[in-house]
Amino acid sequence: MTSPPSRSPRIRPLAIGGLALWVAILVAVSLWMGRQAYRWLPVQASTAAPLVDGLFSFETGVGTFVFLGVISVIAWVVLMHRAEKYDESDAEPIEGNTRLEVIWTAIPFVLVMSIAFYAIRVNTSLGVLGPMEHIHLANPVEDLGGYPGDRLPAEQVDVIARQWSWEFRYPGSAVSSTELHLAVDQPVTFRLVSEDVLHGFYIPAFRLKQDVVPGRAINFNLTPTREGRYRLRDSQFSGTWFAANQADVVVESGEAHTAWLKQAGALPLQSGLSDAVQEYAKRAKQTKPGWATVPPAPPPQVNVPGSNTLPHDA
Amino acid sequence: MTSTVPNTASEQPHGGEHPNHNLTGFIIFLCSESVIFLAFFSGYALLKTSALNWLPPGVEGLEWQMPLINSIVLISSSGTIYLAERAMAKGHLWGFRAFWLLTMVLGSYFLYGQAVEWSGLKFGLTSGTFGATFYLLTGFHGLHVATGVGLMTLMLVKSFIPGNYAGGEQGVQATSLFWHFVDVIWIILFALLYVWQV
Amino acid sequence: MTSATFPTSEPKPSWTRYFSFNTDAKVIGIQYIVLAFFYFLIGGLLAMIIRGELITPASDLVDRTVYNGIYTMHGTIMLFLFIFPVLNGLNNLLIPTMIGAPDMAFPRLNAVAFWLVPIFGTLLLASFFVPGGPAYSGWWSYPPVSIQNPLGHLVSGQGLWLTAVALSGVSSIMGAVNFVTTILRMRAPGMTWFRMPVFCWTALAAQSLQLIGLPALTGGAIMLLFDLVAGTSFYRPEGGGDPVLYQHFFWFYSHPAVYVIILPVFGIFSELFPVYSRKPLFGYVYVALASFIIVGLGLIVWVHHFFTSGVPQWMRNLFMVNTMLISVPTGVKVFAWLGTLWRGKLRLTTPMLFCLGGLFNFVFAGITGVMLATVPVDIHVSNTYFVVGHFHYVIYGAAVMGIFAAIYHWFPKFIGRMPYEGLGKLHFLLTFVGANLNFLPMHPLGLMGMPRRVSSYDPEFAFWNVIASLGAFLLGVSIIPFLLNMVSAWIRGPIAPHNPWNAIGLEWLLPSPPPEDNFGEHVPVVISRPYGYGIGKPLVEHQIELEQALTLADQKEVSR
Repeated sequence: MTSPPSRSPRIRPLAIGGLALWVAILVAVSLWMGRQAYRWLPVQASTAAPLVDGLFSFETGVGTFVFLGVISVIAWVVLMHRAEKYDESDAEPIEGNTRLEVIWTAIPFVLVMSIAFYAIRVNTSLGVLGPMEHIHLANPVEDLGGYPGDRLPAEQVDVIARQWSWEFRYPGSAVSSTELHLAVDQPVTFRLVSEDVLHGFYIPAFRLKQDVVPGRAINFNLTPTREGRYRLRDSQFSGTWFAANQADVVVESGEAHTAWLKQAGALPLQSGLSDAVQEYAKRAKQTKPGWATVPPAPPPQVNVPGSNTLPHDA
Repeated sequence: MTSTVPNTASEQPHGGEHPNHNLTGFIIFLCSESVIFLAFFSGYALLKTSALNWLPPGVEGLEWQMPLINSIVLISSSGTIYLAERAMAKGHLWGFRAFWLLTMVLGSYFLYGQAVEWSGLKFGLTSGTFGATFYLLTGFHGLHVATGVGLMTLMLVKSFIPGNYAGGEQGVQATSLFWHFVDVIWIILFALLYVWQV
Repeated sequence: MTSATFPTSEPKPSWTRYFSFNTDAKVIGIQYIVLAFFYFLIGGLLAMIIRGELITPASDLVDRTVYNGIYTMHGTIMLFLFIFPVLNGLNNLLIPTMIGAPDMAFPRLNAVAFWLVPIFGTLLLASFFVPGGPAYSGWWSYPPVSIQNPLGHLVSGQGLWLTAVALSGVSSIMGAVNFVTTILRMRAPGMTWFRMPVFCWTALAAQSLQLIGLPALTGGAIMLLFDLVAGTSFYRPEGGGDPVLYQHFFWFYSHPAVYVIILPVFGIFSELFPVYSRKPLFGYVYVALASFIIVGLGLIVWVHHFFTSGVPQWMRNLFMVNTMLISVPTGVKVFAWLGTLWRGKLRLTTPMLFCLGGLFNFVFAGITGVMLATVPVDIHVSNTYFVVGHFHYVIYGAAVMGIFAAIYHWFPKFIGRMPYEGLGKLHFLLTFVGANLNFLPMHPLGLMGMPRRVSSYDPEFAFWNVIASLGAFLLGVSIIPFLLNMVSAWIRGPIAPHNPWNAIGLEWLLPSPPPEDNFGEHVPVVISRPYGYGIGKPLVEHQIELEQALTLADQKEVSR
């Protein structure tokens, strides 16, 4: 095995050139990965999504570069710096290098702080899109002076999470449903409440998630930007039928949304969707169904049950 | 805990415990133990500040005069245990026993006072977060006081084993340290439960 | 202390001591490790059931209640009954021998701490057989789900779970008091702080974290137990309680717990890279001190586990920055290992392969960790498979691989026989491929929005789940060559010399296996820093005589 190029006290131009070329390749690959990162995420269907995805893409790019950089060194030493057979001797002892220590303390510091800076900016924009702070029952948003005029959302939807169903109420139109309907490009405020345990209000296509905490009413704003059918998933473990506690979110045009509300208001109340209730009934017929469970809450009585089996975009 | 005279060499013969490490270990344990109280205190403060109705219906607040007397008893026992330790250091074994016993009496009186207070309260463990935190904090502290009295009994009995305390006893030091710890915790607890009643 | 003579013809102690209340740290260490692997097999079996269920979108292999119980027990067993005990085992073997102490500071306490493990392990496994089944609320046991107690019995799976976890806490605190006291008080003469092996530095750091963090969890768990069995309302919203309070208690400990796990593994990397690169550890002082910076920062990051629970914006930003800062001392360590490898004379033995593989996985986990720290990305991927992937890269990809490296490296020292290289390399290959195949697909799943802890999922997630399950089954198979290797090497492996890897360290100046009191009265005086590869300075006084006596003893042992 030939000695590695860096063995020479003078830094050879060939080594510098090779290193520069390798770094250039890594940069190119990292940029490409940063671009690819968008493809790993669901469609962007809210104003928050492009902000989150941009940050994730940046992190993927930086992360790829760091990862490949470290792996290149490992690969290089494994290939080039192996002890020859029967060579029992020690290598040249290098105990450390203060300048290097300072450099590789400073570089990660600057790197993570720049990511943090970027993230705080995204955070602030997300905060402007809607108050992400929880509102405790002790001081609801009305007591705090309400929302400033420009942030007053057009529509309010009450979201009631239960073991294991989602119910959506439109107090303005006296409509309730187990399928969430939203108008595209219109800000909406959710009032999230839980009647039993912790749940998570999570719509991956919107890139937003908020725990629903029993005993609190949490206000949560967002603006959908793309028409389509998406999934709302419970994201905080809530017991036996946690996995089945999903609902569909339909984002439609303003006119279609108004029409839907009008149509829905005329419908009589009926049992909404609850996969848990159906499975629980089936399970009750089995002789040895499994371990103990809390029974599911009865399906909410709603104007529109909707569907949770139609094909969805994300 | 063997009764051998501590070796001057740093290496101890293998087999038994290493007496000169007991105090180090105990101090480390106490530091760790204080975090449980810290957790309870912060939980209490958080629940209290965020509560809508802190006091359960029918409860005006906590009566503080008798607990204050109780506190004075407990805090003065920190002084008597110090005197006991001093006597021990000077080799006055009977002086040690006398002050040690006095400390135990004061500690037991505190427990008695606590029991009297508990039995006269109009709320229980399940009376909201107020009742739950009150009984948790005072109960967990009381458990420590009881443990302290138990440890002191053990040390008192051991003091009658001839020659046992000839070279000073780490057990006594550790118990005394524990007792001061229990006192300091009580002072914080008293401030949180009885003084802070807004 | 001129020349130590180690008796060689001492009768071999009986194997039954491994089943007794023995106070020798080396016996306890092996007890811990063997018992931990027993639980590892159970936890692994549960993982196979989980991945079997998830190979198809529908909930079709086991009932949903069973699935929830199994994933809860998988996490609990792997953390409290495998990884903590196995690390305590390594601590028991390595700390006294590395610092030249005859035993731990409190040998009896040590034995009690160990015997609590089978006790609470049995308690935890017993919960499979109580009416209603085991705890099902995840290893976090978030209330109110964890206090719902569907059957209403006093003895429930969740109650047993809490009791077992509390006992595990007692055992860990006993262990931590012991390890810290031992390191503080029982180092060999001449072994100053900056002559102490990095493994001891990291063990000290990790055990300090246990001492600070664990009581908070204990406090929180006591309150949870009261809520469960006594009807209090610490976390019950109906009685004015706050479920999020529990999350603070839980994560104040359980985030540092990850550092309790990974810090000793950093120690293992720092010990092994110098041996197999034949170079001193690069920047020893920085590596040693970085452990304590990680401890300090590790205590102020816990809120990043519940950014979505409704914490105010300023807190999110603060805890995000704190979390990201951890990558600085961690980076110092990673670069130090690269500096150690650079221009070394690498020997790709089984332990070295496991270290390199572990480092590879750890760097990957570090990068996804930074992604998770940033609030906006975290809001999307928290509680999804992205977190599960990240966590398993840290715990299996880095920590468990590091533990395997340590076992292969120190096996000859404490068992006295050599493990087989061929089986070891096969084990490495299967583990490395299996782990990446298993855990990498979890990242795209999380990014697509698949929540963790689900027993069924939408069909679009099927592709990556099938790959993950196949990887998991491969990982399940990978344990076979390991067990085969350990058992056969223990019974009839080649006799190990005192220093088969030509390593520097006090433990390698003892016979293999070391006598019960290690150096006994003849503790060598340490005169230089560890990892003096290629420097040519002896580690201790009279090193040459000591080595000669040991080599002589080795030859006698082989000729017998």
